[in-house]
Amino acid sequence: MIDHFILGQLAIGVSVGMTYAVIAIGLTLIFRVLSAVNFAHGDVYTIGAFATLIGATTLALPLWAIVPLVLAVGGLSGWTVERLAFRPVRRFTDEASLRSRAVREATLLSSLALGIVVREALDQVYKGEWLVIPASHQLTQPVNLGGVIVSTGEIAIAGSSILLLIGLQYLLHRTRIGIAIRAVSSNLLGAQFSGIDINRVIVAVFIVASILGAAAGMVVSLTYGSVQSFMGLTMIVKGFVVMVVGGLTSIPGAVVAGLLVGVAEAAAGIFVPSAWTEMVGYGLLLMTLLFMPRGLFGRRQA
Amino acid sequence: MKGSAGGILFVVAALLVVGVALPLVFWVTGSPFIARLGQLVLLTVVLTIALNLLTGTAGLLALDSVVFLGFGAYTGAILSTRFGTSFPVELLVAVAGTAVIAFLLGLLLVRLHSVFFAVATVGLAVSFYTTVLNWGDLTRGAMGIPAIPPVRIAGYELDGWLATYMLAALMALVAVFVGHRMTHSFYGNAARAIREDEDAARSMGLTPRFIKAQIYAVHGALMAMAGVLYAHVNSFVGPDNFLLLESALILTAIVIGGLGSLPGAVLGAVLVVLAPEMLRQFGDLRAIIFGVILFLAILFLPRGLLSEVRSLAWVRRLDPASPWARRKRRS
Repeated sequence: MIDHFILGQLAIGVSVGMTYAVIAIGLTLIFRVLSAVNFAHGDVYTIGAFATLIGATTLALPLWAIVPLVLAVGGLSGWTVERLAFRPVRRFTDEASLRSRAVREATLLSSLALGIVVREALDQVYKGEWLVIPASHQLTQPVNLGGVIVSTGEIAIAGSSILLLIGLQYLLHRTRIGIAIRAVSSNLLGAQFSGIDINRVIVAVFIVASILGAAAGMVVSLTYGSVQSFMGLTMIVKGFVVMVVGGLTSIPGAVVAGLLVGVAEAAAGIFVPSAWTEMVGYGLLLMTLLFMPRGLFGRRQA
Repeated sequence: MKGSAGGILFVVAALLVVGVALPLVFWVTGSPFIARLGQLVLLTVVLTIALNLLTGTAGLLALDSVVFLGFGAYTGAILSTRFGTSFPVELLVAVAGTAVIAFLLGLLLVRLHSVFFAVATVGLAVSFYTTVLNWGDLTRGAMGIPAIPPVRIAGYELDGWLATYMLAALMALVAVFVGHRMTHSFYGNAARAIREDEDAARSMGLTPRFIKAQIYAVHGALMAMAGVLYAHVNSFVGPDNFLLLESALILTAIVIGGLGSLPGAVLGAVLVVLAPEMLRQFGDLRAIIFGVILFLAILFLPRGLLSEVRSLAWVRRLDPASPWARRKRRS
């Protein structure tokens, strides 16, 4: 007989892990195309959460109307990040300079700077407080699943993550732009020779990745009922960990690694004080890097 | 620079400015705030030079500066508050201990490449923060360690601003010397060769892992050195002094100054410390403006203010033994 408390913890771990996975997939998509890391991704997640808050309070929208609003805001912020932090640094479009070290490091820092500006601006406007989502919109009702108590939000996180992943698979495999994205990821030069507009694909990748990030921010803020300007910072660090453990370029890898990290953290939370569970993810990261330097599902050398 | 009149002149001039002219200015203005600022600049110079060795010269993008700074600061704080040790003892323990730890960590970490290394160092920085926050018995957790006594050397307490400023200047001097010898030398060439192409470097008989781990250890030791003094002049250390953002700030400094360039690292440190102070009149918008400046610097000065190539050419011209040396025209 397994304790219901432990099962409940694991359910939380699964829902947290799915969030990590969605964030990590956003980073992975961009990394596959540009070999660069988008440090502003955590702030897109924060923007998604704040869009939810504004939708629920200032605009007083019902829940179903907030969803398209947040997705639109996410897409727009992805476009903005690309335009401000990535395109100006990209002066040529040949493969050597697109994926060169100089460009990689410059975009890392420019997106970091953009993230700092967004974070500090939100911090100024909202005074760095934890802001509460109206109770009518919160997804915190308890649900009894065969004796295990979880909240509706945790089910919503798992469900929406699965929906997003299915949508992403559909986009990448069944639509023109998705196939173009995959083509550019696997062979940039070949894709260019086939007449694919690289800049358009890069913009599309940023929009898709940021929609994923903003959606995660929305569901998490509804589940936990509060929003803060620095919430993206912890999330993006976890996203990195998951992305690397999963092998940097692999979407299934990110999902498996996300669940692994989420569940491991929740499981550790049963035995040690919850403050120390932060370390679990990094322990896993170090183990993976030392014993499987390419991650669980990595193929190419980065 | 050894042996060249221009080089010696430059060193003497720099020593006079930092050691005599600036303290005079502080004394004339009589403002402890400005003296403290000068101190902070000099400590930041140590940090940027250390990170510049690792990220600029050896090409390992790291975001874990706070870890080694923190090792030093907490060593200094714990030793002086609990055991009342003197400053040289703390310095010795912190620098030697951190060098060993950093060398071992380095041997593990330098197996990783580019992004992997950067992410592993982020993990290290957050782990350090979590440890410091939660290991209450040793670090007093979130409360931090208050009331750290001033620097004590051979029984004398150095609590005046001039003494600590001079200590910081001495540390900056050590850092500049170490940085100079490790960048503008055969060793620096080896590190740059490894950065550019590890396989080619190995075929020339270099051992990339060992050299990278060495540089990682030296960078850790330099940061720990600055950390000990930081704990004393701040008289308080807490986990919030060692957030990931501080690492990003040091990285920003060397990017603005020019990755791999020693004068650039010094200039970057000066700018990063002084710019926020000049922006103080904007009050709360400071952080935003700083972010914007960082953003614009990366966009419009991708090689930094003093690029690596330019600074290397400058140093080599001063060295008469170098083929780049500026010769007198033959008549």
